[in-house]
Amino acid sequence: MQNMDEEIIAHMSNPNNYGRMENPDSIGIGENPLNGEKVIIYIKVEKDCNDYFISDIAFEAIACMTTVVAGSIITQEARDLTFDKCEELIAVTLGMLESVPPEEAACSEMVAVALKAAMDGYLLSQETGEKKTLIYKIEQSCSPDKEFSAQAAKEE
Amino acid sequence: MVNVLKKTHEAWIVTLMASFMSKTVENKTVLNDFSDILFRHFTWIERELIKAGIDYDYNRDNVPIKVGNLKMILSNIASRLNELELMLPNIQNEALRFRLETDWDYIRFTVNTLKDEKITAFDANRTYKDINLSQEAVDSFTLFLFEESYKEYELIMIYNYLKAHFNDDFLNKIFQILVDESFFHLKSFGNMMAEMGILAVPRVLHKSLYQIEDVVQFLKDGIDEELAAKEQCKTLSESVARDSEELSRFFDFINYQENYHIELMKEALEYYSKKGSIEYYDKKGING
Repeated sequence: MQNMDEEIIAHMSNPNNYGRMENPDSIGIGENPLNGEKVIIYIKVEKDCNDYFISDIAFEAIACMTTVVAGSIITQEARDLTFDKCEELIAVTLGMLESVPPEEAACSEMVAVALKAAMDGYLLSQETGEKKTLIYKIEQSCSPDKEFSAQAAKEE
Repeated sequence: MVNVLKKTHEAWIVTLMASFMSKTVENKTVLNDFSDILFRHFTWIERELIKAGIDYDYNRDNVPIKVGNLKMILSNIASRLNELELMLPNIQNEALRFRLETDWDYIRFTVNTLKDEKITAFDANRTYKDINLSQEAVDSFTLFLFEESYKEYELIMIYNYLKAHFNDDFLNKIFQILVDESFFHLKSFGNMMAEMGILAVPRVLHKSLYQIEDVVQFLKDGIDEELAAKEQCKTLSESVARDSEELSRFFDFINYQENYHIELMKEALEYYSKKGSIEYYDKKGING
């Protein structure tokens, strides 16, 4: 982790939105297949003028501190955003990772794909009436500039 | 009773953090002892839950600890014990109930008598005992303390959970040694974090970390993690060697301690693999 400043330390000391959420509308998991590290994102969703938006969000990380900092920042950004805006947030995040060392890019990528999995899982549940936890694996190369190697899995 | 476990977990964490943030030997010693007692309460309540076949996990609420003076956190400990006292009727075991009640009563009384102190454990000064380190070394040291304080908390909880659920003396002796060792590391790192003004509560554990399905894989991964931790200590020791013999020696000391942990884990792995199946307790009772 480079340029550790007070803001980063604040995220490490007390990450935003950290912990398990009771009765979420959707759960998404981002996983690094190389080392088993994962990020779990819980969301509550509401609808406003035909747009779904994230009314509450929480995350847990079985991963390093860089991932926790990324989770703290990204989940805070995603709160109260519509799904469309969240898609933009994910795209911007993944775009920014192109200039980051691969091992650090993997941490933020895991958070971004977990958020994507949570939203996709929610949309899927609206279609099928069944809740599923989607698990999206990050690119093994840690390169963020490719399509998600999405793999849906049923946890429960 | 599940809520008693959760609230005891939180009271233990707050008391442990209070012991880190205190700078006077007397307050620190008392709070450290009380945190040990509250952890023992936690393990006894857990044992009651297992005996009763009640499903539980180690989830807890986030516990805020940022205070300007010690009295604030002491008063928070007392409030938490007051809240716990209201839950006492949930404890069926009379001897345990009496023990908890009398311990909490004494702890509450004593924390109210401790002298107040100004707390600097959250000022983010990021200096350690006036040792002059390069910015890069300070950043590495900071990251190490955050990562490893969480890791030691995680290990305490994992080994404690395994110890509570395995009905095997040999394995449980190893798990107990590893719990004790992680406590020492957590206390060392917590005190350093307080000195550097970056004290923080380790984050809540995901249950998949301690509700382990594959013990063999867990032990193998654990050995790899210990080897990685050794390497990290070695790197840190080398990076601070020029500026501080004290810190360099400390990281070497932690590094060499890991050797024994690795041997214990190898021993547990060999024993577990040979035995094939070990009795463990779950909510349905004892299983093999």
